[in-house]
Amino acid sequence: MHHPLNLKDAFLTRRNFLAKCGMGMGAVSLAALFGETSLLSARAAANVNPLAPKGPPFPARAKRVVHFFLNGGPSHMDSFDPKPSLDKYAGQPLPGEYIKTERKTGSAFPSPFKFKPCGRSGIPVSDLFPKIGECVDELAIIRSMKAELPNHEPSLMLMNCGDAVQSRPSLGSWVTYGLGTENLNLPGFIVMCPGGYPVKETDNWQNGFLPGVFQGTYIDSQHTKIEKLIENIRSNYTSMKGQRGQLDLLQQLNEEHQSARQGDARLEARIQSFELAFRMQTDASDAFDISREPQSVRDLYGPGVHGRQTLIARRLLERGVRFIQLWHGAGQPWDSHDNIEKNHRKLALEIDQPAAALIKDLKQRGMLEDTLIVFGGEFGRTPTVELNDAGAAKAGRDHNPYGFSMWLAGGGVKGGTVYGATDEFGFKAVENIVHVHDLHATILHLLGFDHEKFTYRYAGRDFRLTDVKGEVVKALLV
Amino acid sequence: MPRRACQFLILLLAVAPALRAADGVAFFEAKVRPLLIARCYECHSAEKEIKGELALDTKAGWQRGGEHGAALVPGKPDDSLLIKAVSYGDPDLQMPPKKRLTAGEVEILRAWVDMGAPDPRIAATARITPLADKYEAARAHWAFQPVQTPSVPQVSANAVRQTGLIAGPQTPIDNFIVAKLVANGLQLSPPADKRTLIRRASFDLTGLPPSPEEVAAFFKDEAPGAFARVVDRLLASPHYGERWGRYWLDVARFADTKGYVYGDREESKFIHSSAYRDWVIGAFNHDLPYDRFITLQIAADQAPGADLDSLAAMGYLTLGRRFLGVVHDIIDDRIDVVMRGTQGLTVGCARCHDHKFDPIPTKDYYSLYGVFAGCTEREVPLNSGPKPAGAYLEFEKELKLREAKFQTLFNEKKEEQSRRLRAKTTDYLVAVLGVEKLPTEEFYSIMQADEVNPVMVRAWHKYLLSTAKAFHPIWAPWHAFAALPANEFVSRAGSIIASATHAAQKLNPLVANAFAEKTPLSMREVAEVYGKLLTGLEKKWSANPTNKLSKPEEELRQVLYAADSPASVPAGAIVDLEWYFDEPTRVALGKLSSQIEQWILQSPGAPPYAVILEDRAAKKNPRVFKRGNPANQGEETPRQFLKILAGENRQPFAKGSGRLDLAEAIASKDNPLTARVFVNRLWLHHFGAGLVRTPSDFGTRAEPPTHPELLDWLARYFMDNGWSVKKVHRLIMLSAVYQQASDAPTDVGGYAKEIDPENKLLWRMNRQRLDFEALRDSLLSASGQLDPSFGGKAEDLFKAPFSKRRSVYGFIDRQFLPGALRAFDFANPDMHNPQRSETTVPQQALFLMNSPFVVEQARALAARVGDSKEAVVATGKSSEARIKQIHHLVYQREPTAREMQGALRFIAAATTGLEEKAAQAIPSAWTYGFGEFDETNKQLKTFKPLPYFNGEAWQGGESWPDAKLGWAQLTATGGHAGNDLQHAVIRRWISPVAGSVAIEGNLQHQHPEGDGIRAWLISSRQGLLGNWVLHNQSAETKIQSVVVKQGDTIDFVVSTHQSLNKNDFLWSPIIRMTGPEAIRDANGYAREWNAPKEFGGAPAEVRKPLTPWEQYAQVLLLGNEFLFVD
Repeated sequence: MHHPLNLKDAFLTRRNFLAKCGMGMGAVSLAALFGETSLLSARAAANVNPLAPKGPPFPARAKRVVHFFLNGGPSHMDSFDPKPSLDKYAGQPLPGEYIKTERKTGSAFPSPFKFKPCGRSGIPVSDLFPKIGECVDELAIIRSMKAELPNHEPSLMLMNCGDAVQSRPSLGSWVTYGLGTENLNLPGFIVMCPGGYPVKETDNWQNGFLPGVFQGTYIDSQHTKIEKLIENIRSNYTSMKGQRGQLDLLQQLNEEHQSARQGDARLEARIQSFELAFRMQTDASDAFDISREPQSVRDLYGPGVHGRQTLIARRLLERGVRFIQLWHGAGQPWDSHDNIEKNHRKLALEIDQPAAALIKDLKQRGMLEDTLIVFGGEFGRTPTVELNDAGAAKAGRDHNPYGFSMWLAGGGVKGGTVYGATDEFGFKAVENIVHVHDLHATILHLLGFDHEKFTYRYAGRDFRLTDVKGEVVKALLV
Repeated sequence: MPRRACQFLILLLAVAPALRAADGVAFFEAKVRPLLIARCYECHSAEKEIKGELALDTKAGWQRGGEHGAALVPGKPDDSLLIKAVSYGDPDLQMPPKKRLTAGEVEILRAWVDMGAPDPRIAATARITPLADKYEAARAHWAFQPVQTPSVPQVSANAVRQTGLIAGPQTPIDNFIVAKLVANGLQLSPPADKRTLIRRASFDLTGLPPSPEEVAAFFKDEAPGAFARVVDRLLASPHYGERWGRYWLDVARFADTKGYVYGDREESKFIHSSAYRDWVIGAFNHDLPYDRFITLQIAADQAPGADLDSLAAMGYLTLGRRFLGVVHDIIDDRIDVVMRGTQGLTVGCARCHDHKFDPIPTKDYYSLYGVFAGCTEREVPLNSGPKPAGAYLEFEKELKLREAKFQTLFNEKKEEQSRRLRAKTTDYLVAVLGVEKLPTEEFYSIMQADEVNPVMVRAWHKYLLSTAKAFHPIWAPWHAFAALPANEFVSRAGSIIASATHAAQKLNPLVANAFAEKTPLSMREVAEVYGKLLTGLEKKWSANPTNKLSKPEEELRQVLYAADSPASVPAGAIVDLEWYFDEPTRVALGKLSSQIEQWILQSPGAPPYAVILEDRAAKKNPRVFKRGNPANQGEETPRQFLKILAGENRQPFAKGSGRLDLAEAIASKDNPLTARVFVNRLWLHHFGAGLVRTPSDFGTRAEPPTHPELLDWLARYFMDNGWSVKKVHRLIMLSAVYQQASDAPTDVGGYAKEIDPENKLLWRMNRQRLDFEALRDSLLSASGQLDPSFGGKAEDLFKAPFSKRRSVYGFIDRQFLPGALRAFDFANPDMHNPQRSETTVPQQALFLMNSPFVVEQARALAARVGDSKEAVVATGKSSEARIKQIHHLVYQREPTAREMQGALRFIAAATTGLEEKAAQAIPSAWTYGFGEFDETNKQLKTFKPLPYFNGEAWQGGESWPDAKLGWAQLTATGGHAGNDLQHAVIRRWISPVAGSVAIEGNLQHQHPEGDGIRAWLISSRQGLLGNWVLHNQSAETKIQSVVVKQGDTIDFVVSTHQSLNKNDFLWSPIIRMTGPEAIRDANGYAREWNAPKEFGGAPAEVRKPLTPWEQYAQVLLLGNEFLFVD
């Protein structure tokens, strides 16, 4: 690597250039300005910067992922899995074996919501999600999801990290580890949740044994100020012009330092990282500023925090963020042990329009074909009514990991599909069961990974997201 | 096709009994083998994989069976697991899991089994390497060999000349390294210069840069041994332990918090983390021999000669994540931290199956599991010295109160639960009959008190098993009935009773009578007879416990009341008994117990605490959990050390739980791994890479050491020198290898890079990057702000006012690791971390460019060289002199001519940026305080700022209500009145303008309880503007016009009315300029101050822009030279 000469020239040129146009570095890419030399240093940076974009080992159908996480466990027989048989048994015990969930439940609880066929495919969706129903021809609805345990904590861990108990990297961390990010000015894996953390908190987007940079960057989307969204993103003590001057002096110092030492990619990478950080200050603010969207687009996503959060997500996707998780809210909002009709109605109203808007908006921008959308909770709910301590029926449903629904849309997903089935009442997945591991295998497949070969060596063995399980569900793919 | 297969089968089944062996084989070949290949081999063959340990590609495979046992019983399809699985009868055992076999396919298998499962496949295809083979292979593995005593290679004069070893080998390390360099045609790089050396040594041993004075002294010392004197000085520095202790904390997956906890019942901070951290630092500083270091961390409670304070060492075991109390995971974490930390072995794999590569069978894992399962936790106050009076007494008094509160409830609940269990004896006896159907783990929370508790059912089951070994006067009939086959139960039950009556002299007569009265028709009825008998007696006795019972009655009573009775909650600590209680009780007990911990954490008089493990009284051998599933218990295994390390003649652990035996087995000179693993860790941190490059994996798949003889020689040296860590440091640092430059001369460097690009042979020193702690500490050191004090409570590193202590004392919350720590590759506190990753991301740059902490250091650094005008005048120091000084402080050297020029130019050209920052520099008009309202004079007597902001509210302190300021609180939209008139809350507006303003607002009190609030609106110029008394009502607080001058105040004051009850309120005023002189924006809107919008944490903070000198100082702190050590 004998490059010091032209590199030096490049720096001189760059300084001269910058001196001429003041703080003009913001939008102009280094590579475009400095051609080969900069490419060389970008390569050097790639050796060290783990977030540099990488291609997957196999052809990918999706380049990026948005995961709507309806935390708390939305009810499948009230949304995407109609169960008319429950009406027959209304108020009576269901035939067949009693399935133990976390709390006691009693007789059949017919859905208070109405289903109607939607789209060209005619797939029934309940009136909880009228706008998502309009997009049903884009969705592949899995009605046979299966998790393992009826408690939130292990189920969240399973859905996010592929292991109910032990600390393992989350799906988003795996994906960012495998693919890097297309925009080094922004974190590769962003998690938004308005008002605080979900249950299990930061464990949900943990990096586990992967390096810390792959952990999800949490953003409380209730805030609107960029300083609250990304740490240290603003320079409060020096003007941008002043900071540009500082970085120019820093370049000179580093160059002096480097010239006395032999090629060490880490030195060059760190020089680049300051330039990236400088640009990030403006780029990141821009990404989170939805006031730059036309009113018509803001109207499409609707008012309220979920509309804003989802629209920010689209702006981030456009800018190359790899994996975005959108949680419904702090705690476990969808956990409707009681008053399910009122609670589910309210929650669905919050998310129906934004989620549908994202599908339409991405489609219109030509981005839906390589963006994967995942929609669902950590488990579903019981077809039977939950009982209180005294044994009386409440107006809600208990947790149910044995069968529930999720849907996928976008990159590589066969729209207008219903896959798998639960039993007559919606208790257990019985047909074409899709375990959470299978879902993970399928998502990785869409992103261009063989989930059995996508590993990370830690503690003397190769780990994978799906551990020793998981099968790609081919029927969901185009 | 299916139909035809069926017809064939009907035919075949009709003649099946008559089939000859040859026909069976033909049937196998024609029908069974293709079916197995098509539908089963995918998951059950050596070619593909062997799931559930079941291979179906050989006869031996199904004969041996999988984890559930033999796959089939020849001739008995109904008893064959294989048939059960493919028939999809059992929801938990359905094979193939995805696509069910057709009815015809199932029939083929059934027929095959029925005919005796003829199977000609004798070839033994390779399975997972059998354990014996693994042992065989492992015996040859270098890491399991005893540590050798290799002789030091001779280095010829020729080699000395060739390799640049000008002064000859300095320590034997040089001989080993140079010998290998010579063999590869390479040479050492030239010795590093003095400045590089002292920087390298200082960062290396203390994590801090040398001071300019230390550098100057080293330059001046030209006598031989100057560098050795530097090394000795650094080894003696207390900062040494802070640096190297932190490396060990990475290994020990250290944190100050427990990870995710149930917020309603558990304190999230550990009470003992700082004591453990300080113990580790102290151990390094005192050069505690490593064998002792390990022994104390595993078994300080039992190690001979250990004093009270060394109990802190056991934080090593007890500071792991709590996994919501799931005991198997806590133990797994402990096994992992011990075995990877000290042995470099990943034993954790063997939790579910034999280790794939290393000779670590599942049984060995459970041998270690048994050691930790045999222990329980205890909190121990430390400080053996005299107790301080005052604060300590206050601590102790309150502690005892809280402990008593907990104990009372605990005893009460234990008694209550025992009573409930006795009353439900019948239910439990019935439940025992279905014990194998119980949920698999204690994972199911027991929500209701009257639910049948699976833990107790298992206890009953165990108890009943224990009565089956010999004739039992009460339970003999139970076992006799249980032995009857179900279909003969009714016909033979009578004979059981007859023989029981026959044995009446031995049998409890009450039991005999009970069965004489009723002949049971099923085991359920047997359970009911026993249940009725026991609960009847229990009722009779508890109605009047003073009545004397007959001997047979007393015998029965003991079933429910004996110390080991399954019908009562045994003695023990709550951590071990949690699952005996229902959810509300667990919450209630948890709350009281966390109140004890909170007191220990917050009381200023609290001594340091340790949380130790203690052996339980009962010594029990563990059972293997098949596939790691505790409900699926396999064979018993003794508590003992790993066979591969302990050898063929290993003995089970003999002392208590075996924890001390375990510590001794590790801290032993005969252990082949302990010394090797640790000297490799030392080497790793000195050179940036270990001799073994997988520092916590010395197993068979690990990369072999680059210098095996050197590794052994060092390990031997370490042990022979009393396991002294400092001696090894010294030996390494005095070598020529350590002291060479980190860049080879260009003429040889190119060649060396081709031969050995990773520098495994050490032809140069590796340049190292400072980790987060060293970087932050160096910033504080350069700015002259570092607080060098030792030990004590952890501090938040990222909250202003910023801590100036060393980073090792920063509070580590494993659940909410601060972003800066993550960005800088800090060790994940959940994982054992042998070596941190090293990444370069822009978030690191943002931290250095923009974080107020770094800005603060830049200011301090500039001030240190006298950057202010006054200082310049006073000292008369030239800019050049100051630039030189700052270079010495930051880089320990003179600036180059070019650097000097650049610096001067920068300082001359830089602006303060004031013009741009003017808007931000305006302080907020609002401040938040409390004070006393003087009712007679209608004015404020005092105003003091509320001291604490939690991100949402201003209040008295971190916890609310505050001990001094009570409930006083102000939020964006309102707040809570203080406890009395002397502590009214005051939202104060300080006018930045002159003119007149209008005030808008709505004051609300929203509770029917209590008697409401009082409020006053006061202008410093015009006096009282309004006052209100509100109880569950609201009022407009509108003032048309108030005249203000700059600096005038308008106060919004709220206090309780009469009683302290529901005194929160809403009041979010807006002040707007009015009149012709009002300042207006481009759209004509008058300037306004909106209380909720402008509410915030910064107390009118003026963000003072950096001066040119400060900006310059910051640039130096950002330089690569600051972060990388040559």
